[in-house]
Amino acid sequence: MSVQMTDMRTIYGKTLIDIGQENPSVVVLGADTSDSLKTADFGKKFPERFFNVGIAEANLVSVAAGLAISGKTPFASTYAIFLPGRCVDQIRNAIAYPSPGDKKGLNVKLVVSHGGISVGADGGSHQQIEDIAIMRAIPHMSVLIPADTVAVGKLTWIISQKYGPFYMRMARSATPLVHSESQEFEIGKGITLREGADCTIAACGITVKMALDAADSLKQEGISCRVIDSFCIKPIDATLLEKSARETGCVVTCEEHNILAGFGSAVSEIISETYPVPIKRIGVADRFGESARDNEIPLLLEKHGITSINISKAVKDVIGKKRR
Amino acid sequence: MGLNYYQIKKNVRKARKLVIRATSLAGSGHPGGSFSMAEIMGCLFFKYLRYDPKNPNWEDRDKLILSKGHASPGLFSNMAVAGYFEPTELDTLRAFGSRLQGHPDLKCPGVEFCGGSLGIGLSFSVGSALAARLDKKPTRIFTVLGDGETDEGQVWEAAMTGTKYKVDNLTAFLDRNFIQQDSYTEKVMPLDEVLTGDDISEMWRDASRWKVGDKWRAFGWNVIEIDGHRIEQIDSAIKKATQTKGVPTIVVSRTIKGKGVEHMEDNPKWHGQAPKKEFVPIIDLEIDSQSMIAPSIIAGDMSNLANEVKRCVNGRADYIHLDVMDGMFVPNKTFDHTKIKELRPITVIPFDAHLMINEPVKHVRDYVDAGSDIITVHAEVCDASSFGEIHDILKASQVGVGLAINPDTELPQWSYQFIPKLDQIIVMSVVPGKSGQKYIESSHEKTQNLAKILSENNFDGYIEADGGVTLDNIAACFADGARAFVGGSAIIGQADVRQIIREFRHKVAYARRKTLIQKAHELGGKELVAKWIELHTIGEKRNQLNVIAKELGYT
Repeated sequence: MSVQMTDMRTIYGKTLIDIGQENPSVVVLGADTSDSLKTADFGKKFPERFFNVGIAEANLVSVAAGLAISGKTPFASTYAIFLPGRCVDQIRNAIAYPSPGDKKGLNVKLVVSHGGISVGADGGSHQQIEDIAIMRAIPHMSVLIPADTVAVGKLTWIISQKYGPFYMRMARSATPLVHSESQEFEIGKGITLREGADCTIAACGITVKMALDAADSLKQEGISCRVIDSFCIKPIDATLLEKSARETGCVVTCEEHNILAGFGSAVSEIISETYPVPIKRIGVADRFGESARDNEIPLLLEKHGITSINISKAVKDVIGKKRR
Repeated sequence: MGLNYYQIKKNVRKARKLVIRATSLAGSGHPGGSFSMAEIMGCLFFKYLRYDPKNPNWEDRDKLILSKGHASPGLFSNMAVAGYFEPTELDTLRAFGSRLQGHPDLKCPGVEFCGGSLGIGLSFSVGSALAARLDKKPTRIFTVLGDGETDEGQVWEAAMTGTKYKVDNLTAFLDRNFIQQDSYTEKVMPLDEVLTGDDISEMWRDASRWKVGDKWRAFGWNVIEIDGHRIEQIDSAIKKATQTKGVPTIVVSRTIKGKGVEHMEDNPKWHGQAPKKEFVPIIDLEIDSQSMIAPSIIAGDMSNLANEVKRCVNGRADYIHLDVMDGMFVPNKTFDHTKIKELRPITVIPFDAHLMINEPVKHVRDYVDAGSDIITVHAEVCDASSFGEIHDILKASQVGVGLAINPDTELPQWSYQFIPKLDQIIVMSVVPGKSGQKYIESSHEKTQNLAKILSENNFDGYIEADGGVTLDNIAACFADGARAFVGGSAIIGQADVRQIIREFRHKVAYARRKTLIQKAHELGGKELVAKWIELHTIGEKRNQLNVIAKELGYT
């Protein structure tokens, strides 16, 4: 079975141009990575609405804030490691905190690529595994991790139209398609990709495909899994998670992020307060990543246990812990 | 708002007192950095910024970004004076539920930027300036940076961005007060040069050692260097900045932390500490006791007045008193508005035109056009109608309004209605007409009585002592209530104008310190006097205060 691989950044760049044509308030900012992020094309199309501030991420974020308070809708983009990792102060104090009138935060969209360890070759210094933790802890901030290019394109449109500070993390490498073109997305709503009764697998980003693969293989063994694409980590779909916990009795979470304070933690917070059931979190076990060439990225993910096989094991594990 | 020099000064005084009131009630806050930028804020709020306090979100407004957010009392106090909210709201500073947060916050309508975390404001300002340009709005962005704040690398990222994108609708002020939280800037992280030993005060005096402007020049900015406590220099810098195209401007403003309150001045301790409530009335009096020295150049070489103006400028006079005599109101003739126009380009120091002429209402416009900053006319040649006309012309032209009375004239009844609107009252202590006369002793009593009448009639301008003021009697003139002092031959007749002005200031400082000690005694006896003196830890001030207290028998 061949899986179609598509590049998130390419779709992001194209979508920005489409949005830019319709919405003159949209401006795009880069920090010397605009070629890589594919935002440079927006700059060619709309030179007066594109600002490359150089290798100066704190400045990038704060200039975006200044544009936003003046009515613009800035998209500021670079690699994940340089935004939450480097600029938490500016993101907090210049974007999330300032609240004009009844609004919450400024209307800045921080869209990054190179999230998680699947960055590969650049090595551990460039593999942001803390961004969910950082960003979801900031009040007013919404956090999105799309699973494929369909999600990237649609979410880019949605956040350009929805007021508020957003953080959206893309992967570096081409990703398999998991959504159909007709898939609808709504901020705060998870998407149930498979129905199932024995266990819920909640995933985000590139791990959604792994979750689907795990569900498919478990099905062969007679285990029925519900798979949720939790692309919206904040605001999280608490209703869907509670319902799934109630209906399936256990939960596995998957993320390309430190398991501390990340997506799995967010899910655990909801489940433990609404309908406590056994949970197992798949993710980076509080370690740093390392280099891996493109063809070795599966090995790197495997080393950190982020594989469909490991998800399957975790599913069996939590099912075994269910109260009888 | 377009206020004149004197009105700005008065508003700055009001704002400073509000800072003291608010921080003392809050029990914390940053008076030091609020005071170093007080004149910058005053000049922006009351002359250049376009805003509508009743409609803070007016689309075409200018924006003031207080990047050094810890100086929020200095922002809020000006907003109160400007009419965004009642001054009493300052009483809620830093309190639970208040719009006036510890650092500037959008919770308070009219605040444009949530300051607090340093180093962000200039980037934010560049973004705002870019947005204004995209929208083809007339919006100007004014940003105030602390000097310690520029330790932050992000400031220099923003500086490069401002240059790259040619944001000439952005003017920044560097509040160069040489002090940050831990200590002096040149000790914590030198912006000019690394200091060895303790020669900080020497360095402050020696402008040739100030290098920070070069840093900004190297980053491509238009750099204007000024004394950040002189309204006229700030005014001129903003004018130049707004005319500069293609690059952003930074006004490197040499300031004094805690300026206006002696025990806070240049003292790192007052970076982030609030004054105790018991001292507030004394500090208020101190703020209201600021005074100015104005040499009268007709006492100098009448054949080379341009040179006399330059001597006053170099001597650091506060403003220059220009005695215009027409040969009719007084027997002598000096010069008219044409001379003032000729002298005007030499300096931005305010020109105080004292019109000893008949029918001033007919000529006042000429003196406005010549570039006078304050125009004073004589009560003897005015009535309610003509003075009303003069007042209206001057206010509309952003020129200070002064009224003068001769030694044998009392303030006429018709003038009472104007008292609250006057910027200056000149009490002549010699018969006008020529320089070099002796002070008429009865003027002391006359000034004291007048000061009472004025304060009962809501006067908030300056009483100017003019005629025969010398080193020997200036302290007494201060005690009478005068706060501006014209010096004729006593200043301009001396070889070293700068030195003599310094001596005049020392005498005034002595008189002011005495007044404050008397106030402390009145409020809290010897105990409060001792505590007040205790606050003064820097320089010679403390020794002099002890001497004064001893002389007064308060020890």
